[in-house]
Amino acid sequence: MDLHYSEADREFRERARAWLKDNIPQAPRPVAGEAGARFDRDWQRKLYEHGWAGLNWPLAYGGLGLSALQQVIWYEECARAGAPHYINTTYVALMHAGPTIIACGTEDQKAFHLPRILSGESLWCQGFSEPNAGSDLASLKTAAVVDGDELVVNGTKTWTTDGQHADFQELLIRTTPGSERHRGLTWVICDMRAPGITVRPIRTMMGDAHINTTFYDNVRIPLANVVGEIGSGWKTAMSTLAFERGTGFIGDQLALYERVNQAIALAGKTRLASGTLAIDDSDIAGRLALIKADTLAIRAMTFAQISEIHQGGNPGPKGSVMKLLVTSTAKALSHLVAEMLGWEFMEYGGNRNDHPLTYDYLWSWVYTIAGGTSEIQREIIADQLLDLPRAR
Amino acid sequence: MLLALDANEQAIADAAAAFLATEFPLQRLHGAHNDANRLGEFSALGWLGLSAPEALGGSGLGMVEEMLFFLQLGRVAGPVGVLGQILAVSTARDHRDLCTALLAGAASVALLVEHTADGTIRFIGAADCRYALAVAPGGASLFELNGSECAEVPCLDRSVSMCIGRDSALSRLVHVEGDGVWCRALVDVSAMLLGIAERALDMIVAYAKERHTFGRPIGAYQAVRHPCADMAVRVEAARCQLFYAATALKEQQPDAIMQIDAARLLAERAAKANTDANIQLHGGIGVTDEFSAHLLLKRANLLWRLFGSPRQSMQSLLGLRFESGVVTCAKNGSKASGVIAGEGR
Repeated sequence: MDLHYSEADREFRERARAWLKDNIPQAPRPVAGEAGARFDRDWQRKLYEHGWAGLNWPLAYGGLGLSALQQVIWYEECARAGAPHYINTTYVALMHAGPTIIACGTEDQKAFHLPRILSGESLWCQGFSEPNAGSDLASLKTAAVVDGDELVVNGTKTWTTDGQHADFQELLIRTTPGSERHRGLTWVICDMRAPGITVRPIRTMMGDAHINTTFYDNVRIPLANVVGEIGSGWKTAMSTLAFERGTGFIGDQLALYERVNQAIALAGKTRLASGTLAIDDSDIAGRLALIKADTLAIRAMTFAQISEIHQGGNPGPKGSVMKLLVTSTAKALSHLVAEMLGWEFMEYGGNRNDHPLTYDYLWSWVYTIAGGTSEIQREIIADQLLDLPRAR
Repeated sequence: MLLALDANEQAIADAAAAFLATEFPLQRLHGAHNDANRLGEFSALGWLGLSAPEALGGSGLGMVEEMLFFLQLGRVAGPVGVLGQILAVSTARDHRDLCTALLAGAASVALLVEHTADGTIRFIGAADCRYALAVAPGGASLFELNGSECAEVPCLDRSVSMCIGRDSALSRLVHVEGDGVWCRALVDVSAMLLGIAERALDMIVAYAKERHTFGRPIGAYQAVRHPCADMAVRVEAARCQLFYAATALKEQQPDAIMQIDAARLLAERAAKANTDANIQLHGGIGVTDEFSAHLLLKRANLLWRLFGSPRQSMQSLLGLRFESGVVTCAKNGSKASGVIAGEGR
């Protein structure tokens, strides 16, 4: 084992750091609505124009084809510089839809969509979960029938993050009538402006409404929009999820380290109701130290996983270990900060920028639920890492 | 940058695992009081000198290999005396004859774990140990031990001897300044704690596959599966951090102390929580003497008490200073801080 960075990696870090220093937006991202989406598109266009778009995309498709280690370096520098968070309205396009089209799409689909995704011109949303198909995704019921060279879709999707801003949607639907579970599904590109689509925002406990329920009433989608084979949408969808559990969250993993250091600084100047500094409180100090140790372990685990991939291994269920550790650590951190802040924490009127720490606290439950709940991650670990007898 | 074992490192880990699994099955500890150190066998196979300089007759390997050995030693709740022996060699490395005797396993070393202001000492090891070792953040001391006046007291971990006496039994032979031995001790004990945590996970996973209740293996119930998954997460976090910390120490990275302290906290958490869950998930058999789960619990309790308190680890992780003075890293003398090395910050 060794912790040395090559000359090329060190040079890359310096180049990334210098560029970020001169180019990150000065104003904070507007919290909601079109203004937030426009901010994301502008930042993505800037990354694209300066050659920083598509870090993990192959060179052949306009990406940078960076090694996993250089992706780590990029995200470390972004976190350090306070660059706009990469999980924004461009995330599904860059981290799900684009890589899926690269893996399974036609040449026409690639030629049309990939450049638009990289430049921030197209925003995407996901259409997988349904009101009665969440953790058990394969029980989904939204269906389409083939009519000529089109699919006609009826049904309901939910948790459609940023659906109101998206141009396209990765839509997973049942195309074989009477099919069950993973069979008979199709992954299709849905134009969000097609007639028959209704997007209804869901207000969350954070007070915002960036997630939605999406209704499909005889929505017509060209068969040419099917990605992969018709009827093998599960296979296409899994190529996306496997990608997400590989390197899709590296940035979040590393940003935690900056967040915990900010919390330590906060504890050094925040007085508890008793009058003592938070950092001098042994309970708070002990919990902070353990959270910091976990963030260091998350960073080490990131290096361990990319090293194992480099040696020819498959991250597999280790991605679930990572998701559990990252989300539980983030939750512990935001809850500790909430306790330190006393009444100031309560002065939340629904604006994320005014009270980001209160927002983070509320968000921590989204984190342990979205993208596979902690309970589902434990099932995956029990099945695939520990080889325990199946529960289902 | 590689944070996975290379072929040579894997070979060391495999060799240690094979030797220890054959020669030190956990079963040996049942009923037996005072597990023999068997230093001669460790010496003959080169394990005592794994990371000692070649000039002293060692293999000249580094901190990573030493960590891998202690991880395997932890898995079998192996002789604690081996830890004292290897750290004593590190302390006495400028005293050739002493090192030669220690590497040969000819004279055993007790670990001094308490030394109160009124002159009372407590050590782990038999009263007839020739030497006693004290390791602290500021330095390490090796003493000649005259234990004739020291009394053995009962120990929760029945496989070790624990003695109490007066510090007049100690005469100092060697003292080394700096935190070199301390860092090493923390990595080694973290590795043993991780080994215990891993073994606890293996034990319950095996049992969950064979034990049936209500007509199904208990491993099919989420009430058992999910705590097992949490045990695996604790092991994986502690393992990755320990690998990173051992490598940082080997390379004398400026953030090595912080990385080691994080590894120590996470290994301790994994050992405590996993030995607990292992007993609970086993049900009644878990609290019996004939079953091995309690051996891991008791060893974890011994190990996490060694080498300072978690409080010290907390302080260095939060960028605070030890009361006894500023913590420095052995070779380059840089201060412990919250900055990760290798980023040109």
